[in-house]
Amino acid sequence: MKSKQFNQRMWLYTLMIFITIITVGPFLITLFMSLKAANEGIYSSILPASPTLENFVTAFDKANFGMYFLNTLVVTVIAIPLNLLFCSLAAYPLARMDFRGRSVVLAVIISTMMVPFQLYMAPLFQLAGSLGLQNTHIGLVVMQVSTAFGIFLMRQAFLRIPKELEESAYLDGANKFKVWYLVALPLVKPTLVTLAIFTFMGTWGDYLWPLLNSTESSMYTLSIGLAQLSQNFDGSNLKLISAASILTTIPTLLIFIWLQKYFISGATDGAVKG
Amino acid sequence: MGKQINKVVTGTLVAALSMGLMAGCNKEGAKDASTSKSGELTGEVTLWTASLAGEPFDTYFDELEKKFEKLHPDLDVTIEDIPQNEMEQKVLTSLTGNDVPDVVNLNPHYMSNIAAQGGLLDLTGMVSDKTKNSFVEGPYKSGIYEDKLYALPWYLTTTISWYNGDHFDQAGIKELPTTIKDIYDTAKAITDKTGKPSYYPVINDGNTIMEKMVSLSNGKPMVKDGKAVFESNKDIIDYFTYTQKMYKEGLIPQETAEGSLKTGQELFMAGNTSFLEGGVTFLGPIESGAPDVYKASKAGQPLESESAPVNVAVMNFAVPAKTKNKEAAVALAEFVTNAENQLEFSKTAGTVLPATKNSLEDDYFKNPGESPKALGMLQASESLERAKVLIPPTESSAELRESTKNIFVKNLQGKLTPEEAVKQLSSEWNKAFEKSDEKVTF
Repeated sequence: MKSKQFNQRMWLYTLMIFITIITVGPFLITLFMSLKAANEGIYSSILPASPTLENFVTAFDKANFGMYFLNTLVVTVIAIPLNLLFCSLAAYPLARMDFRGRSVVLAVIISTMMVPFQLYMAPLFQLAGSLGLQNTHIGLVVMQVSTAFGIFLMRQAFLRIPKELEESAYLDGANKFKVWYLVALPLVKPTLVTLAIFTFMGTWGDYLWPLLNSTESSMYTLSIGLAQLSQNFDGSNLKLISAASILTTIPTLLIFIWLQKYFISGATDGAVKG
Repeated sequence: MGKQINKVVTGTLVAALSMGLMAGCNKEGAKDASTSKSGELTGEVTLWTASLAGEPFDTYFDELEKKFEKLHPDLDVTIEDIPQNEMEQKVLTSLTGNDVPDVVNLNPHYMSNIAAQGGLLDLTGMVSDKTKNSFVEGPYKSGIYEDKLYALPWYLTTTISWYNGDHFDQAGIKELPTTIKDIYDTAKAITDKTGKPSYYPVINDGNTIMEKMVSLSNGKPMVKDGKAVFESNKDIIDYFTYTQKMYKEGLIPQETAEGSLKTGQELFMAGNTSFLEGGVTFLGPIESGAPDVYKASKAGQPLESESAPVNVAVMNFAVPAKTKNKEAAVALAEFVTNAENQLEFSKTAGTVLPATKNSLEDDYFKNPGESPKALGMLQASESLERAKVLIPPTESSAELRESTKNIFVKNLQGKLTPEEAVKQLSSEWNKAFEKSDEKVTF
């Protein structure tokens, strides 16, 4: 019996190690590539012969990655709280208040998720231009401050709160706004964290909108910097690109590791029947 | 808990409102754009380069900007870099608004697409004959669309061949092949020695094969008045026949079906393929990524008859039609593309040719040195004499490239006979020209 269990575990662990290698392998190869010295061939071996951080220094010094990193950080740090605020503000009435046309409003919001960005980017660009949002951090943030996905996710979370909790708050004299932030919001914390992670990933890796909205390279974000490096006219320095990719990926990785328990629990929220 | 949330909510709302106000305050006034009463250029002018960020280009453009501003003290120049793949989309999007760049770095394909939509300024009457005559003819013509000049040529790369000298030595091959039959023999001899597929025909999005077909036709038209006329062209059928045979026999790598130059670069860098055709820029990542392969790299003329035309890839400068500072924009485009600045740019980049006749006479191109890159440059400047843009910009360009890639790959994989492939390709090209009702000849 024990031997059967041992065998089963062996298979399971072998499978898990195999999947881990496939998943983590490309990241590790990129990491090793980024640590190779200038005079070392990229195909000589997987591991760097004498690991060096010179590619990271070059990315910061010569490819302006410090500035791009700061821009991305500023945009992300502003976008996350605004997204949580506006999405939860929009979602709460859709989940908890009865008003005419509620289902139509919800359907319209959700249907915008099906429209590709390329379709509306030109009018959006014009709008941003006429509002003076071009080449500003706000112009980059504005795309992330309220998303249909975020509203839907928060609505599903609010639907799960027992109505009795809100009713008792009303009996204590709370108004709707107070019930929203004193009762409902604390109860959907895991979903707020999940939405924060999604917003982080969406903002951190956003490419097309920051590129369109910025005509000054001082406003570029990491993803544009990475594209500049990889599209460089005389081919590309793969070691430098690898270093830049690692710099771009590490914050996402750290955030995910830090908040993964919320991410997994919150990611299933959308599956709850409304 | 309630108080904490209260603070967070209030704080975030205040932040949102104040940022809205800040954004409002950030509104830029319209760009000044005019010439002063004395005729001197004034205002602001913005130039976009394509994928030329970082050193050594930042320093080059800083100095260029200073030189131009010294000539026109009342003019403020801004130079920004845009990733090349998104340049067309970014220019088109900016044209929907009011904040457009004044000078943009485009390839002829993007240029013709934007010009066809009325997005570019007609430079025909705005540029002097002296300036027009300063350019090499082929590249200059790449800036013409429907008989109007929309762009001035800047830097060029022509097709040359690259080969791994060590592999050629191992196989005892002394000369580069110039016919498809020679290519087959060379590839076979090298693969027999190295055990690796040795010839990599670059497909890219189909354009490279189209250019190769025009080179192979060597003067015989491929398309006449919008009708494909290469169905019975023996050189093209031979090319399809031998590439299929080489793929089947493992002389061409399997990865060729994907076909990008980048894949070829990676294979060449890893020593997994031995010869191919590309521009001088081909060696860029190889120099840093595989120093040993770089040292063994050698350059030669394209793998075809010495009299065959070769393609020249041109990067040029155009002026968006909505520029608010026409005179300054044209002056800047002329300044960046003059012989002196083109020569300086070629030296800075190290792997491109200038489009001005005078710059090409410089010792830098006549005696470039012994490094693999320098030898590539020498070959490229020699092939420039017979270089031109082999495929003119057409509305059907996307369809032509797509059908060429698909059919060439099917032929490689043996899904069609070479004759069937050429016939099918001819028919697809005809359909595309019928759809766009174009009467092009090339």
